[in-house]
Amino acid sequence: MSRPDVRTDLEQVFRSHYARVVAVAARVLGSRDQAEDVAQEVFLSFGRSTVPAGEAGGWLTVAATHTALNLLRSGRRRTAREEAADDGPSVVPDVADLVVTREERSAVRAALARLPHRQAAALVLRHSGLSYAEVATALELSPGSVGTTVRRAESVLLKELNRHASPE
Amino acid sequence: MRHPSEGVLRRLVDEPSGVTADDRAHIASCSTCLPALDTARAEARLVGAALATSTTVDTDAAWARFTTSDTATAPAPRPVIAAPGRGRWRPALRRPVVAALSAVVLVAGAGVAAANDWLPIFRTEQVDPVEVSTGDLVALPDLSAYGDVEVLQAPDPVQVADADAARERTGLDVPEVAALPDGVTGNPSYQAAGVVSGTFTFSADKAARAAAADGQALPPVPAGLDGTSLRLQAGPGVAAVWSQPTGVPTLVVARVVAPTVDASGGVDFETVRDYILSLPGVPDALSDQLRDLSKDGGTLPLPVPAALVTTSTADVDGVAATVLTSRNGLFAGVVWVEDGVMTGVAGSLSAEELLSVARGLR
Repeated sequence: MSRPDVRTDLEQVFRSHYARVVAVAARVLGSRDQAEDVAQEVFLSFGRSTVPAGEAGGWLTVAATHTALNLLRSGRRRTAREEAADDGPSVVPDVADLVVTREERSAVRAALARLPHRQAAALVLRHSGLSYAEVATALELSPGSVGTTVRRAESVLLKELNRHASPE
Repeated sequence: MRHPSEGVLRRLVDEPSGVTADDRAHIASCSTCLPALDTARAEARLVGAALATSTTVDTDAAWARFTTSDTATAPAPRPVIAAPGRGRWRPALRRPVVAALSAVVLVAGAGVAAANDWLPIFRTEQVDPVEVSTGDLVALPDLSAYGDVEVLQAPDPVQVADADAARERTGLDVPEVAALPDGVTGNPSYQAAGVVSGTFTFSADKAARAAAADGQALPPVPAGLDGTSLRLQAGPGVAAVWSQPTGVPTLVVARVVAPTVDASGGVDFETVRDYILSLPGVPDALSDQLRDLSKDGGTLPLPVPAALVTTSTADVDGVAATVLTSRNGLFAGVVWVEDGVMTGVAGSLSAEELLSVARGLR
Protein backbone atom coordinates (compact mmCIF):
# COMPACT_ATOMS: atom_id res chain seq x y z
CA MET A 1 0.00 0.00 0.00
CA SER A 2 1.53 3.33 -0.96
CA ARG A 3 1.36 6.12 1.54
CA PRO A 4 1.31 9.85 1.21
CA ASP A 5 4.18 11.68 2.87
CA VAL A 6 4.02 13.42 6.20
CA ARG A 7 2.90 16.96 5.55
CA THR A 8 5.95 19.08 4.93
CA ASP A 9 4.83 22.00 7.07
CA LEU A 10 4.42 19.89 10.20
CA GLU A 11 7.69 20.84 11.89
CA GLN A 12 7.19 24.52 11.31
CA VAL A 13 3.64 24.41 12.63
CA PHE A 14 4.76 22.30 15.60
CA ARG A 15 7.55 24.69 16.57
CA SER A 16 5.36 27.76 16.11
CA HIS A 17 2.43 26.52 18.11
CA TYR A 18 3.66 23.88 20.57
CA ALA A 19 4.03 26.15 23.62
CA ARG A 20 0.64 27.68 23.05
CA VAL A 21 -1.07 24.30 22.63
CA VAL A 22 0.50 23.05 25.88
CA ALA A 23 -0.67 26.21 27.65
CA VAL A 24 -4.23 25.66 26.41
CA ALA A 25 -4.30 22.06 27.63
CA ALA A 26 -2.66 23.04 30.92
CA ARG A 27 -5.37 25.61 31.48
CA VAL A 28 -7.81 22.70 31.55
CA LEU A 29 -5.70 20.06 33.26
CA GLY A 30 -3.47 22.07 35.58
CA SER A 31 -0.61 19.68 34.85
CA ARG A 32 2.17 20.39 32.39
CA ASP A 33 3.00 16.74 31.85
CA GLN A 34 -0.53 15.82 30.91
CA ALA A 35 -0.82 18.95 28.81
CA GLU A 36 2.24 17.86 26.83
CA ASP A 37 0.67 14.44 26.25
CA VAL A 38 -2.44 16.15 24.92
CA ALA A 39 -0.30 18.40 22.71
CA GLN A 40 1.50 15.41 21.20
CA GLU A 41 -1.84 13.81 20.40
CA VAL A 42 -3.26 16.99 18.93
CA PHE A 43 -0.24 17.50 16.66
CA LEU A 44 -0.53 13.89 15.58
CA SER A 45 -4.10 14.55 14.50
CA PHE A 46 -2.99 17.75 12.80
CA GLY A 47 -0.30 15.83 10.94
CA ARG A 48 -2.96 13.55 9.56
CA SER A 49 -5.25 16.38 8.60
CA THR A 50 -5.43 18.68 5.63
CA VAL A 51 -6.04 21.78 7.73
CA PRO A 52 -4.24 24.69 6.02
CA ALA A 53 -1.19 25.88 7.98
CA GLY A 54 -2.72 29.34 8.09
CA GLU A 55 -5.61 27.98 10.14
CA ALA A 56 -3.46 25.79 12.34
CA GLY A 57 -3.47 28.10 15.37
CA GLY A 58 -7.21 28.12 15.82
CA TRP A 59 -7.60 24.47 14.90
CA LEU A 60 -4.95 23.35 17.37
CA THR A 61 -6.38 25.50 20.15
CA VAL A 62 -9.82 24.04 19.68
CA ALA A 63 -8.50 20.50 19.36
CA ALA A 64 -6.39 20.87 22.52
CA THR A 65 -9.35 22.26 24.43
CA HIS A 66 -11.68 19.41 23.52
CA THR A 67 -9.06 16.72 24.02
CA ALA A 68 -8.03 18.11 27.40
CA LEU A 69 -11.63 18.50 28.55
CA ASN A 70 -12.35 14.90 27.53
CA LEU A 71 -9.33 13.78 29.50
CA LEU A 72 -10.36 15.88 32.50
CA ARG A 73 -13.78 14.27 32.49
CA SER A 74 -12.60 10.76 31.83
CA GLY A 75 -11.21 10.38 35.33
CA ARG A 76 -7.94 9.17 33.85
CA ARG A 77 -6.00 12.16 35.06
CA ARG A 78 -3.74 11.64 37.98
CA THR A 79 -4.91 12.35 41.49
CA ALA A 80 -4.56 15.82 42.93
CA ARG A 81 -1.92 14.46 45.28
CA GLU A 82 0.25 13.29 42.41
CA GLU A 83 -0.14 16.60 40.63
CA ALA A 84 0.78 18.56 43.72
CA ALA A 85 4.01 16.65 43.93
CA ASP A 86 5.31 17.89 40.62
CA ASP A 87 3.66 21.23 40.19
CA GLY A 88 5.52 24.42 40.88
CA PRO A 89 4.63 27.23 43.26
CA SER A 90 1.03 28.17 43.50
CA VAL A 91 1.57 31.84 42.77
CA VAL A 92 0.26 32.56 39.31
CA PRO A 93 3.30 33.92 37.53
CA ASP A 94 1.69 36.25 35.06
CA VAL A 95 -0.74 37.84 37.49
CA ALA A 96 1.58 38.88 40.24
CA ASP A 97 -1.00 40.38 42.55
CA LEU A 98 -3.27 37.36 42.51
CA VAL A 99 -2.42 34.35 44.57
CA VAL A 100 -4.56 31.32 43.90
CA THR A 101 -3.91 28.41 46.19
CA ARG A 102 -3.39 24.91 44.92
CA GLU A 103 -6.62 23.85 46.59
CA GLU A 104 -8.52 26.61 44.85
CA ARG A 105 -7.09 25.68 41.47
CA SER A 106 -7.98 22.08 42.05
CA ALA A 107 -11.54 23.04 43.01
CA VAL A 108 -11.86 25.17 39.90
CA ARG A 109 -10.84 22.25 37.70
CA ALA A 110 -13.30 19.95 39.43
CA ALA A 111 -15.98 22.52 38.67
CA LEU A 112 -14.73 22.77 35.08
CA ALA A 113 -15.15 19.02 34.69
CA ARG A 114 -18.77 19.29 35.82
CA LEU A 115 -19.72 22.10 33.44
CA PRO A 116 -21.57 21.23 30.23
CA HIS A 117 -18.87 20.51 27.63
CA ARG A 118 -19.68 23.42 25.37
CA GLN A 119 -19.78 25.90 28.25
CA ALA A 120 -16.43 24.69 29.53
CA ALA A 121 -14.95 24.78 26.05
CA ALA A 122 -16.18 28.33 25.46
CA LEU A 123 -14.56 29.43 28.70
CA VAL A 124 -11.23 27.81 27.93
CA LEU A 125 -11.15 29.02 24.33
CA ARG A 126 -11.91 32.57 25.38
CA HIS A 127 -9.22 32.51 28.07
CA SER A 128 -6.86 31.04 25.48
CA GLY A 129 -7.24 34.12 23.35
CA LEU A 130 -9.75 33.14 20.69
CA SER A 131 -12.04 35.94 19.59
CA TYR A 132 -15.76 35.76 20.24
CA ALA A 133 -16.35 35.12 16.55
CA GLU A 134 -13.84 32.26 16.55
CA VAL A 135 -15.36 30.71 19.67
CA ALA A 136 -18.79 30.97 18.07
CA THR A 137 -17.56 29.22 14.90
CA ALA A 138 -15.69 26.49 16.72
CA LEU A 139 -18.57 25.59 19.02
CA GLU A 140 -21.42 26.36 16.64
CA LEU A 141 -22.78 28.99 18.98
CA SER A 142 -24.45 32.17 17.86
CA PRO A 143 -21.91 34.99 18.19
CA GLY A 144 -24.23 36.87 20.53
CA SER A 145 -24.40 34.01 23.01
CA VAL A 146 -20.66 33.53 23.53
CA GLY A 147 -20.42 36.28 26.16
CA THR A 148 -23.35 34.87 28.10
CA THR A 149 -21.95 31.34 27.92
CA VAL A 150 -18.51 32.44 29.12
CA ARG A 151 -19.97 34.63 31.87
CA ARG A 152 -22.10 31.78 33.24
CA ALA A 153 -19.15 29.43 33.27
CA GLU A 154 -17.09 32.02 35.12
CA SER A 155 -19.84 32.47 37.70
CA VAL A 156 -19.88 28.75 38.43
CA LEU A 157 -16.11 28.64 38.79
CA LEU A 158 -16.12 31.74 40.96
CA LYS A 159 -18.56 30.10 43.35
CA GLU A 160 -16.10 27.23 43.72
CA LEU A 161 -13.25 29.67 44.27
CA ASN A 162 -15.17 31.50 46.96
CA ARG A 163 -16.12 28.27 48.67
CA HIS A 164 -12.44 27.33 48.92
CA ALA A 165 -11.17 30.85 49.56
CA SER A 166 -8.41 31.29 52.12
CA PRO A 167 -9.76 32.33 55.56
CA GLU A 168 -7.67 35.46 55.63
CA MET B 1 -34.86 51.29 30.37
CA ARG B 2 -33.30 48.16 28.91
CA HIS B 3 -29.90 47.22 30.26
CA PRO B 4 -27.53 45.27 28.01
CA SER B 5 -27.27 41.56 28.93
CA GLU B 6 -24.51 40.11 31.07
CA GLY B 7 -23.13 38.57 27.87
CA VAL B 8 -22.73 42.03 26.34
CA LEU B 9 -21.01 43.28 29.51
CA ARG B 10 -18.67 40.32 29.37
CA ARG B 11 -17.79 40.99 25.76
CA LEU B 12 -17.11 44.61 26.58
CA VAL B 13 -14.37 43.38 28.93
CA ASP B 14 -12.58 41.58 26.08
CA GLU B 15 -13.75 43.07 22.81
CA PRO B 16 -15.20 46.57 23.14
CA SER B 17 -15.35 46.82 19.37
CA GLY B 18 -17.76 43.89 19.34
CA VAL B 19 -20.34 45.84 21.38
CA THR B 20 -22.63 48.31 19.67
CA ALA B 21 -22.06 52.03 20.17
CA ASP B 22 -25.51 52.36 21.73
CA ASP B 23 -24.76 49.70 24.32
CA ARG B 24 -21.37 51.20 25.09
CA ALA B 25 -22.91 54.64 25.58
CA HIS B 26 -25.60 53.22 27.82
CA ILE B 27 -23.16 51.30 30.00
CA ALA B 28 -20.82 54.28 30.35
CA SER B 29 -23.55 56.34 31.94
CA CYS B 30 -25.57 53.69 33.77
CA SER B 31 -25.23 53.31 37.52
CA THR B 32 -26.49 49.71 37.29
CA CYS B 33 -24.35 48.57 34.38
CA LEU B 34 -21.05 50.14 35.42
CA PRO B 35 -20.72 48.20 38.67
CA ALA B 36 -21.85 45.05 36.83
CA LEU B 37 -19.13 45.64 34.25
CA ASP B 38 -16.54 46.03 37.03
CA THR B 39 -17.73 42.76 38.57
CA ALA B 40 -17.56 40.96 35.22
CA ARG B 41 -14.03 42.29 34.66
CA ALA B 42 -12.84 41.29 38.12
CA GLU B 43 -14.36 37.83 37.92
CA ALA B 44 -12.93 37.20 34.45
CA ARG B 45 -9.50 38.10 35.79
CA LEU B 46 -9.85 35.84 38.81
CA VAL B 47 -10.94 32.87 36.73
CA GLY B 48 -8.12 33.57 34.29
CA ALA B 49 -5.68 33.50 37.19
CA ALA B 50 -7.14 30.28 38.57
CA LEU B 51 -6.81 28.57 35.19
CA ALA B 52 -3.31 29.84 34.48
CA THR B 53 -0.59 27.25 34.92
CA SER B 54 3.12 27.70 34.65
CA THR B 55 4.16 25.88 31.49
CA THR B 56 7.70 26.43 30.43
CA VAL B 57 8.21 23.97 27.62
CA ASP B 58 11.22 22.66 25.78
CA THR B 59 10.02 22.73 22.19
CA ASP B 60 13.16 21.04 20.84
CA ALA B 61 12.74 18.13 23.24
CA ALA B 62 9.04 17.96 22.46
CA TRP B 63 9.72 17.84 18.71
CA ALA B 64 12.32 15.13 19.27
CA ARG B 65 9.79 13.11 21.26
CA PHE B 66 7.20 13.66 18.58
CA THR B 67 9.41 12.53 15.74
CA THR B 68 10.96 9.57 17.53
CA SER B 69 7.71 8.03 18.68
CA ASP B 70 6.56 5.37 16.27
CA THR B 71 3.19 7.00 16.21
CA ALA B 72 4.45 10.26 14.85
CA THR B 73 6.99 8.95 12.39
CA ALA B 74 4.33 6.97 10.65
CA PRO B 75 3.50 8.82 7.47
CA ALA B 76 0.07 10.33 7.32
CA PRO B 77 -1.92 7.18 6.80
CA ARG B 78 -4.74 8.55 4.77
CA PRO B 79 -6.32 11.69 3.46
CA VAL B 80 -8.74 13.16 5.90
CA ILE B 81 -12.25 13.54 4.65
CA ALA B 82 -13.40 17.03 5.41
CA ALA B 83 -16.26 17.18 7.85
CA PRO B 84 -19.44 18.57 6.40
CA GLY B 85 -20.75 21.94 7.40
CA ARG B 86 -19.06 25.02 8.64
CA GLY B 87 -17.16 23.60 11.58
CA ARG B 88 -13.83 23.33 9.84
CA TRP B 89 -12.05 22.79 13.14
CA ARG B 90 -14.16 19.85 14.08
CA PRO B 91 -12.65 16.80 12.34
CA ALA B 92 -10.07 15.72 14.88
CA LEU B 93 -12.12 16.92 17.76
CA ARG B 94 -14.67 14.22 17.45
CA ARG B 95 -12.13 11.46 17.28
CA PRO B 96 -11.97 10.69 21.00
CA VAL B 97 -15.72 10.70 21.13
CA VAL B 98 -16.03 8.43 18.13
CA ALA B 99 -13.28 6.18 19.42
CA ALA B 100 -15.04 5.88 22.73
CA LEU B 101 -18.22 5.23 20.83
CA SER B 102 -16.50 2.42 18.98
CA ALA B 103 -15.86 0.65 22.22
CA VAL B 104 -19.49 1.11 23.09
CA VAL B 105 -20.56 -0.24 19.73
CA LEU B 106 -18.33 -3.25 20.10
CA VAL B 107 -19.10 -3.97 23.69
CA ALA B 108 -22.73 -2.93 23.95
CA GLY B 109 -23.44 -4.23 20.47
CA ALA B 110 -21.99 -7.52 21.49
CA GLY B 111 -24.28 -7.69 24.43
CA VAL B 112 -21.91 -7.68 27.35
CA ALA B 113 -23.51 -4.46 28.55
CA ALA B 114 -26.68 -4.27 30.60
CA ALA B 115 -29.21 -6.95 29.98
CA ASN B 116 -31.97 -4.44 29.51
CA ASP B 117 -30.17 -3.00 26.52
CA TRP B 118 -32.21 -2.80 23.35
CA LEU B 119 -29.82 -4.91 21.35
CA PRO B 120 -29.57 -8.32 22.94
CA ILE B 121 -33.06 -9.33 21.89
CA PHE B 122 -31.67 -10.33 18.52
CA ARG B 123 -29.98 -13.62 17.90
CA THR B 124 -26.77 -12.93 16.09
CA GLU B 125 -25.78 -14.82 13.04
CA GLN B 126 -24.72 -11.93 10.90
CA VAL B 127 -24.15 -8.25 11.41
CA ASP B 128 -26.07 -5.58 9.60
CA PRO B 129 -25.60 -1.95 10.42
CA VAL B 130 -28.68 -0.02 11.39
CA GLU B 131 -28.19 3.64 10.81
CA VAL B 132 -29.42 5.80 13.63
CA SER B 133 -28.55 9.34 14.54
CA THR B 134 -26.97 10.13 17.87
CA GLY B 135 -30.38 11.47 18.88
CA ASP B 136 -31.88 8.05 18.22
CA LEU B 137 -29.19 6.46 20.34
CA VAL B 138 -30.15 8.58 23.26
CA ALA B 139 -33.81 7.99 22.61
CA LEU B 140 -33.63 4.21 22.36
CA PRO B 141 -36.33 2.92 24.65
CA ASP B 142 -35.35 1.30 27.87
CA LEU B 143 -37.22 -1.97 27.83
CA SER B 144 -37.99 -1.62 31.52
CA ALA B 145 -40.74 0.82 30.51
CA TYR B 146 -42.52 -2.03 28.75
CA GLY B 147 -42.11 -4.79 31.21
CA ASP B 148 -39.97 -6.24 33.95
CA VAL B 149 -36.27 -6.67 33.42
CA GLU B 150 -34.40 -8.97 35.70
CA VAL B 151 -30.66 -9.38 35.46
CA LEU B 152 -29.83 -12.98 36.29
CA GLN B 153 -26.12 -12.83 35.77
CA ALA B 154 -23.88 -9.74 35.60
CA PRO B 155 -20.91 -9.68 33.22
CA ASP B 156 -18.52 -8.10 35.76
CA PRO B 157 -16.14 -6.69 33.18
CA VAL B 158 -12.61 -6.40 34.57
CA GLN B 159 -9.17 -5.54 33.35
CA VAL B 160 -6.91 -8.57 33.43
CA ALA B 161 -3.14 -8.89 33.28
CA ASP B 162 -2.70 -10.58 29.94
CA ALA B 163 -4.25 -12.67 27.20
CA ASP B 164 -3.80 -15.86 29.22
CA ALA B 165 -5.73 -14.40 32.13
CA ALA B 166 -8.45 -13.26 29.73
CA ARG B 167 -8.70 -16.79 28.30
CA GLU B 168 -8.78 -18.35 31.73
CA ARG B 169 -11.61 -16.09 32.79
CA THR B 170 -13.74 -16.43 29.67
CA GLY B 171 -12.64 -19.48 27.73
CA LEU B 172 -12.11 -17.24 24.71
CA ASP B 173 -8.81 -16.66 22.95
CA VAL B 174 -7.98 -13.00 22.49
CA PRO B 175 -7.38 -12.64 18.76
CA GLU B 176 -3.66 -12.20 18.19
CA VAL B 177 -2.64 -9.35 15.91
CA ALA B 178 -0.02 -10.51 13.42
CA ALA B 179 1.46 -7.06 12.77
CA LEU B 180 0.46 -3.83 14.46
CA PRO B 181 -0.33 -1.00 12.05
CA ASP B 182 1.99 1.99 11.92
CA GLY B 183 1.16 4.34 14.73
CA VAL B 184 0.04 1.65 17.18
CA THR B 185 2.70 0.85 19.73
CA GLY B 186 3.19 -0.59 23.17
CA ASN B 187 1.36 -3.33 24.97
CA PRO B 188 -2.40 -3.53 25.07
CA SER B 189 -4.52 -3.66 28.17
CA TYR B 190 -6.84 -6.66 28.31
CA GLN B 191 -10.49 -6.60 29.27
CA ALA B 192 -12.60 -9.62 30.07
CA ALA B 193 -16.32 -9.87 30.73
CA GLY B 194 -18.36 -12.87 31.74
CA VAL B 195 -21.77 -13.97 30.60
CA VAL B 196 -24.62 -11.54 31.02
CA SER B 197 -28.12 -12.90 31.14
CA GLY B 198 -31.52 -11.68 32.10
CA THR B 199 -35.19 -11.87 31.39
CA PHE B 200 -37.55 -9.33 29.96
CA THR B 201 -41.20 -10.01 30.72
CA PHE B 202 -43.57 -7.95 28.63
CA SER B 203 -46.25 -6.11 30.61
CA ALA B 204 -49.19 -4.64 28.70
CA ASP B 205 -49.98 -2.55 31.77
CA LYS B 206 -46.51 -0.97 31.88
CA ALA B 207 -46.43 -0.48 28.14
CA ALA B 208 -49.80 1.29 28.30
CA ARG B 209 -48.48 3.63 30.99
CA ALA B 210 -45.37 4.37 28.92
CA ALA B 211 -47.52 5.10 25.89
CA ALA B 212 -49.81 7.36 27.91
CA ALA B 213 -46.77 9.27 29.18
CA ASP B 214 -45.87 9.80 25.55
CA GLY B 215 -49.40 11.02 24.88
CA GLN B 216 -50.26 8.02 22.77
CA ALA B 217 -52.47 4.97 23.00
CA LEU B 218 -50.92 1.53 23.18
CA PRO B 219 -51.30 -0.42 19.94
CA PRO B 220 -53.53 -3.50 20.37
CA VAL B 221 -51.58 -6.18 22.22
CA PRO B 222 -51.41 -9.51 20.35
CA ALA B 223 -53.07 -12.40 22.16
CA GLY B 224 -50.79 -14.13 24.61
CA LEU B 225 -48.13 -11.44 24.58
CA ASP B 226 -48.84 -10.03 28.02
CA GLY B 227 -46.56 -11.86 30.43
CA THR B 228 -44.41 -13.37 27.70
CA SER B 229 -40.77 -13.57 28.66
CA LEU B 230 -37.61 -13.30 26.61
CA ARG B 231 -34.49 -14.80 28.05
CA LEU B 232 -31.44 -12.91 26.91
CA GLN B 233 -27.92 -14.10 27.10
CA ALA B 234 -24.62 -12.77 25.78
CA GLY B 235 -20.95 -13.13 26.40
CA PRO B 236 -18.42 -13.86 27.56
CA GLY B 237 -16.18 -11.37 25.81
CA VAL B 238 -12.54 -10.34 25.66
CA ALA B 239 -10.78 -7.29 24.27
CA ALA B 240 -7.26 -6.02 23.81
CA VAL B 241 -6.97 -2.24 23.81
CA TRP B 242 -3.98 -0.20 22.65
CA SER B 243 -4.11 3.41 23.81
CA GLN B 244 -2.30 6.68 23.55
CA PRO B 245 -0.94 8.20 26.77
CA THR B 246 -4.12 10.23 27.17
CA GLY B 247 -6.19 7.07 27.18
CA VAL B 248 -7.74 7.46 23.76
CA PRO B 249 -7.85 4.00 22.19
CA THR B 250 -5.90 3.66 18.96
CA LEU B 251 -6.77 0.02 18.35
CA VAL B 252 -9.34 -2.28 19.93
CA VAL B 253 -9.58 -5.97 19.08
CA ALA B 254 -12.54 -7.70 20.66
CA ARG B 255 -14.23 -11.08 20.52
CA VAL B 256 -17.50 -11.96 22.19
CA VAL B 257 -20.03 -14.76 22.13
CA ALA B 258 -22.93 -13.14 20.37
CA PRO B 259 -26.26 -12.54 22.09
CA THR B 260 -29.07 -15.08 21.94
CA VAL B 261 -32.70 -14.89 22.90
CA ASP B 262 -35.36 -17.44 23.79
CA ALA B 263 -39.03 -16.62 23.97
CA SER B 264 -41.33 -18.56 26.25
CA GLY B 265 -45.04 -18.37 26.89
CA GLY B 266 -46.28 -19.52 23.53
CA VAL B 267 -45.57 -16.41 21.44
CA ASP B 268 -42.82 -16.57 18.87
CA PHE B 269 -39.90 -14.20 18.96
CA GLU B 270 -40.83 -12.34 15.79
CA THR B 271 -44.19 -11.39 17.27
CA VAL B 272 -42.52 -9.99 20.35
CA ARG B 273 -39.95 -8.13 18.29
CA ASP B 274 -42.44 -6.64 15.86
CA TYR B 275 -44.74 -5.54 18.63
CA ILE B 276 -41.93 -3.89 20.59
CA LEU B 277 -40.86 -2.11 17.43
CA SER B 278 -44.36 -0.75 16.97
CA LEU B 279 -44.49 0.83 20.41
CA PRO B 280 -44.53 4.61 20.85
CA GLY B 281 -41.08 6.13 21.27
CA VAL B 282 -39.28 4.07 18.66
CA PRO B 283 -38.34 6.43 15.79
CA ASP B 284 -40.18 5.51 12.58
CA ALA B 285 -37.03 5.33 10.47
CA LEU B 286 -35.36 3.03 12.93
CA SER B 287 -38.45 0.83 13.13
CA ASP B 288 -38.48 0.51 9.36
CA GLN B 289 -34.83 -0.48 9.30
CA LEU B 290 -35.32 -3.01 12.04
CA ARG B 291 -38.30 -4.48 10.19
CA ASP B 292 -36.09 -5.02 7.17
CA LEU B 293 -33.85 -7.29 9.13
CA SER B 294 -34.13 -10.99 8.60
CA LYS B 295 -37.35 -12.50 9.84
CA ASP B 296 -35.68 -15.16 11.89
CA GLY B 297 -34.02 -12.59 14.13
CA GLY B 298 -30.65 -13.72 12.88
CA THR B 299 -29.19 -10.26 12.60
CA LEU B 300 -27.62 -8.03 15.16
CA PRO B 301 -28.40 -4.40 14.54
CA LEU B 302 -25.52 -2.13 15.43
CA PRO B 303 -26.31 1.36 16.63
CA VAL B 304 -24.30 3.22 14.05
CA PRO B 305 -24.56 7.00 14.34
CA ALA B 306 -25.39 7.97 10.76
CA ALA B 307 -24.21 11.52 11.25
CA LEU B 308 -20.71 10.30 12.03
CA VAL B 309 -20.24 7.01 10.28
CA THR B 310 -20.59 5.49 6.82
CA THR B 311 -20.84 1.76 6.28
CA SER B 312 -19.77 -0.72 3.66
CA THR B 313 -18.98 -4.40 3.44
CA ALA B 314 -15.79 -6.34 2.91
CA ASP B 315 -14.54 -9.89 2.94
CA VAL B 316 -12.52 -11.14 5.90
CA ASP B 317 -11.20 -14.59 5.12
CA GLY B 318 -14.41 -15.63 3.40
CA VAL B 319 -16.76 -14.07 5.93
CA ALA B 320 -18.84 -10.97 5.14
CA ALA B 321 -17.78 -8.14 7.44
CA THR B 322 -19.28 -4.73 8.05
CA VAL B 323 -16.90 -1.82 7.72
CA LEU B 324 -17.70 1.38 9.61
CA THR B 325 -15.81 4.55 8.74
CA SER B 326 -16.25 7.87 10.47
CA ARG B 327 -17.09 10.65 8.08
CA ASN B 328 -14.05 12.59 9.25
CA GLY B 329 -11.85 9.71 8.16
CA LEU B 330 -10.15 9.39 11.52
CA PHE B 331 -11.87 6.33 12.87
CA ALA B 332 -13.01 3.01 11.51
CA GLY B 333 -14.19 -0.39 12.61
CA VAL B 334 -14.63 -3.84 11.08
CA VAL B 335 -17.10 -6.30 12.60
CA TRP B 336 -18.11 -9.82 11.61
CA VAL B 337 -19.83 -12.84 13.09
CA GLU B 338 -18.79 -16.42 12.55
CA ASP B 339 -20.27 -19.46 14.29
CA GLY B 340 -22.03 -17.29 16.85
CA VAL B 341 -18.87 -15.45 17.82
CA MET B 342 -18.58 -11.78 16.99
CA THR B 343 -15.15 -10.29 16.34
CA GLY B 344 -14.47 -6.59 15.98
CA VAL B 345 -11.44 -4.50 15.17
CA ALA B 346 -11.72 -0.74 15.61
CA GLY B 347 -9.61 2.30 16.22
CA SER B 348 -8.28 5.61 15.01
CA LEU B 349 -6.94 4.01 11.85
CA SER B 350 -8.07 3.70 8.26
CA ALA B 351 -10.49 0.99 7.20
CA GLU B 352 -7.73 -0.44 5.00
CA GLU B 353 -5.36 -0.79 7.93
CA LEU B 354 -8.08 -2.35 10.08
CA LEU B 355 -9.03 -4.83 7.36
CA SER B 356 -5.38 -5.78 7.17
CA VAL B 357 -5.38 -6.34 10.95
CA ALA B 358 -8.64 -8.29 10.70
CA ARG B 359 -7.36 -10.58 7.95
CA GLY B 360 -4.14 -11.19 9.86
CA LEU B 361 -5.73 -12.17 13.18
CA ARG B 362 -4.59 -15.51 14.53
